[in-house]
Amino acid sequence: MGTATLEVPVTQKTATSARRIKVEIRRQASPDAKATTETFEIPYRPNMNITSLLGEIALNPVDVSGRETTPVTYDSNCLEEICGSCAMLIDGKAMMACSALVDRLLGDKPDKTITLAPLSKFPVVRDLAVDRSVLFENLKAVKAWVPIDGSYDLGAGPRQQPQIQEQRYPLSNCISCTICMEVCPQFNDATGFVGAATIAQAKLFNMDPAGSVLKEERLRALAGDGGIQECGFAQNCVQACPKQLPLTEAISDMGRDVFVQQVKDFFTR
Amino acid sequence: MAASAPPAPPSTTRRRGVQPLRAAEGHSYLWRRLHSLSGIVPIGAFLIEHILSNFETWNGPVAYGKQVLFLNSLPLVRILEWVFIFIPLAFHAGYGVYIWLRGRSNVNVYPWAGNWGYYAQRITGLIAFAYIIQHVWRQRFTGVDLPHNPGMAFHKVQVELHNPWMLAIYVIAMIATCWHFAYGIWLFAAKWGITPGDRARKRFGYICAVVGTGLCIMGLASIYAVVWKYPNAPVNALPDQHSSLTLPASTSLATS
Repeated sequence: MGTATLEVPVTQKTATSARRIKVEIRRQASPDAKATTETFEIPYRPNMNITSLLGEIALNPVDVSGRETTPVTYDSNCLEEICGSCAMLIDGKAMMACSALVDRLLGDKPDKTITLAPLSKFPVVRDLAVDRSVLFENLKAVKAWVPIDGSYDLGAGPRQQPQIQEQRYPLSNCISCTICMEVCPQFNDATGFVGAATIAQAKLFNMDPAGSVLKEERLRALAGDGGIQECGFAQNCVQACPKQLPLTEAISDMGRDVFVQQVKDFFTR
Repeated sequence: MAASAPPAPPSTTRRRGVQPLRAAEGHSYLWRRLHSLSGIVPIGAFLIEHILSNFETWNGPVAYGKQVLFLNSLPLVRILEWVFIFIPLAFHAGYGVYIWLRGRSNVNVYPWAGNWGYYAQRITGLIAFAYIIQHVWRQRFTGVDLPHNPGMAFHKVQVELHNPWMLAIYVIAMIATCWHFAYGIWLFAAKWGITPGDRARKRFGYICAVVGTGLCIMGLASIYAVVWKYPNAPVNALPDQHSSLTLPASTSLATS
């Protein structure tokens, strides 16, 4: 790539340097503090994402009225949509901040104000950081792991056929971002629904040749209160999932397996 | 877990936010699955029977009266009515309202097709619920007792639909109920793992749409027949059938 291609035309350069991005952020100092809104204006650069926007604010935490404030707290780690930390409400919709591109959010309205808010269904820790440990509790409840611990060498695991591996791989892409839960109309205080991510992980580990030893326990767990039956099949999960997991397929498959297990248990236990 | 979560609170205090899965606890699985199943059998099966029977109005008051007579001649008909219609319907409606109350529809934020379907299933369910309460009350439990006067069925419905407001309610409720049933079959197949694949669900969606549209057209045609095709139907299309269904002893008691 020659240096000439990186050269920005003079006219566009002056236009962009004057341009600023307006962003409105819901802030909350502590879990019990009152939520407030702060507005910032950040110099425009092409190809920004929301995490780089928040980085700009951290460099110079002064709001639009010139008042000094604190850098915005948010969870982030990898900055490339693989760790699952930076999920938040961007323009009201649950998205990963790292893969939400400012140019795309603004579209053909460069003066539009971008709004950022914490996920609405998880307790706020501070600003845009929320406590998503309910997902961890749910994964523990369905034993979403392969039991390989023993007091002696268990030897090599069973062979995994490539056909099984191909079905499992998309499910293994889950990054625990909780967006599927945030967008789900059934995931709320009233139902205590487990959410799509946990159901998909139960399927992933049920299909593992070694993990399938816990299959029945996982299926029984998912028939508990807040289990798979609470799914209303609005299919928001599969639409919003940033990693395109086949979540509705997993829920459907697990729905059948949970039912078969319940019938089996009814007649044999 | 990627989130920088604070240490877990002591087990004595309730967690903030949505509670985790109560693994293998409670009975909501049974009730929720019974709700799903009851919508197909017996309620869905009854809806098909009801719309097919109503379609006899297309053949006139006598044909419709005979269909009502046939249904009321079924063995143990009053028990069938309660076990396969009223009780399942009351459960499906009651638990359905409970499901509706616990959902937090967000179609305003995420206006996707499936999310609209979720919302529409609740709205059409509520419309059907409100309609069925007045329908059962006014057509089954008050006014002319149709089980004993099947020939008066056509006229009773015709009088009801003479009110333009009632006619509008019947048309809206017919569309809502058929939608609720058709989408309900689709949801049943998806949730019970009959159609897990995306393409299978899409294909089955077309089948459900055809079933729902077909039922709805038959239902609306029945309304048309009652209101416009056979205006001024006789009060009793089967005058000879009146006493045959009534016990002689009770008739003599009632008339003496």
